Amino acid sequence: MNRLVTVAEMTLRELTRRRGVLLLLLLMPLVFWMIRRDSYVGQSIRALFLGISWAVSTAALFAASGARELEPRLRLAGYRPHQLYLGRMLGLWVLGLAVAVPFFLLTVIDANNLRYAGIALAMLCCVAVAAPFGMLIGALLPRELEGTLLLLTVVAMQMLLDPASPGAKLTPFWSSREIATWAVDHTDAGYLSRGLLHAAVVTVLLIVTVAGVFGVRLRRRRHLHHAPLT
Amino acid sequence: MNADEWLRVFAAELHQRRVAVDAARHVVAEAATHLREGGGDPWLVFGSPQAYAATIVESIGTAPAPRPGPVRLDARGITKRYGRRTVLRDAALTVRAGQIAAVVGANGCGKSTFLRICAGLISPDAGEVTVSGRLGYCPQQGGTADFLLPDEHFVLVGAGQGLTREPARQAGRAAARQLGWEADRDVPARHLSGGTRQKLNLTMSTLAAPDVLLLDEPYQGFDQGSYVNLWDQLVRLRDEGRAIVVVTHLLNQLDRVDVVLDLTSSAK
Repeated sequence: MNRLVTVAEMTLRELTRRRGVLLLLLLMPLVFWMIRRDSYVGQSIRALFLGISWAVSTAALFAASGARELEPRLRLAGYRPHQLYLGRMLGLWVLGLAVAVPFFLLTVIDANNLRYAGIALAMLCCVAVAAPFGMLIGALLPRELEGTLLLLTVVAMQMLLDPASPGAKLTPFWSSREIATWAVDHTDAGYLSRGLLHAAVVTVLLIVTVAGVFGVRLRRRRHLHHAPLT
Repeated sequence: MNADEWLRVFAAELHQRRVAVDAARHVVAEAATHLREGGGDPWLVFGSPQAYAATIVESIGTAPAPRPGPVRLDARGITKRYGRRTVLRDAALTVRAGQIAAVVGANGCGKSTFLRICAGLISPDAGEVTVSGRLGYCPQQGGTADFLLPDEHFVLVGAGQGLTREPARQAGRAAARQLGWEADRDVPARHLSGGTRQKLNLTMSTLAAPDVLLLDEPYQGFDQGSYVNLWDQLVRLRDEGRAIVVVTHLLNQLDRVDVVLDLTSSAK
């Protein structure tokens, strides 16, 4: 547990020292929200969710890419793979929550007649999915440029696809749109339950895939044998 | 040869003749003080560094050569191919406790690949490595986090070994001091000079007191003093019974190692 918390703490320390990154993490959802501010309130809130998802995914992508060279030596220092990826994910979840809180307050101040619990749940789903999603891209693509372009493609797809189309459900952040509909348009609870189920399934799938990728990359190699110390 | 160069060669001679590290440091400091206060050409005052080192050895004796202990690292039949190119062919190395091994060879002959295979970071196409005890690895570059402080690196690596914060910090600072670096300043790794960053890299690999230490050209960016400190540290670790493997292209240090693996002929 100590190892996991230490990795989470160091991930947070690294990210919070990058002031420019922090500023952009807050700026991205803000810009998304402001662009849609004058139109229908549901549009601005959905854009805000997408901005949060994108910002946290990007932070996760860069955190995962930056740790590529450090992780093998941490493995040699006694860490197990799950302590490394779960610790990093934990740090990113905490950061994501810190990014989401001011925007939740913004919606409370700015918009009336919303189901605020739904807004909060949707933001939680965005953060829950975004951290393992960004980490997975960072783990699969060794160079940051390729990772960023892939992330851009996914988010653009998410924006352009009709949420009612079957393909939209395959995008990672579909859950936040569904919950937003429940929170803004006061639709039936089916939207909420579908959204929560989607977020839970996608998060678990992403964590399992991240575990698989890290497990392979940081595996104990078969040619290396450990003999007892004599 | 100026006084500084004479002292450097003299220090190297003392090490080569296995004068104990602390005694050698004391003798070199005395000679430096004598030259600074009295002035004069060291060749006229002391004679050649080799002759003066021989005189010192006669006077104070040498540290007993540590007997090599049990085998700590045994690599056999290591073969590695990248596509059609065979980088390593049937390479083998055995290092015992209390030995320093140097892996040498031309650029691109597979020195770093061999070390990474020994560390278990990449797989060979054939061959096996047996390690006895704890393994430490210092990469040629990278391996540090740009935005973390040196102390935070020590805490991170120490936690892997079950060390709590303060002991990890103390152990890291003590290991850094052996390399002539005071690591107590709050400077992120990205603001450290290349040589100091490499000292951080090296300190991280020795922090957990490994039984087998694998170093991939650990002196990148080191000045002359740091380079001498590094070899002092390696000799000290060897005398404590560690097995050390150093990838190097600086052949002038080969007289201070016990085993040499030349990979030049291994590359095809």
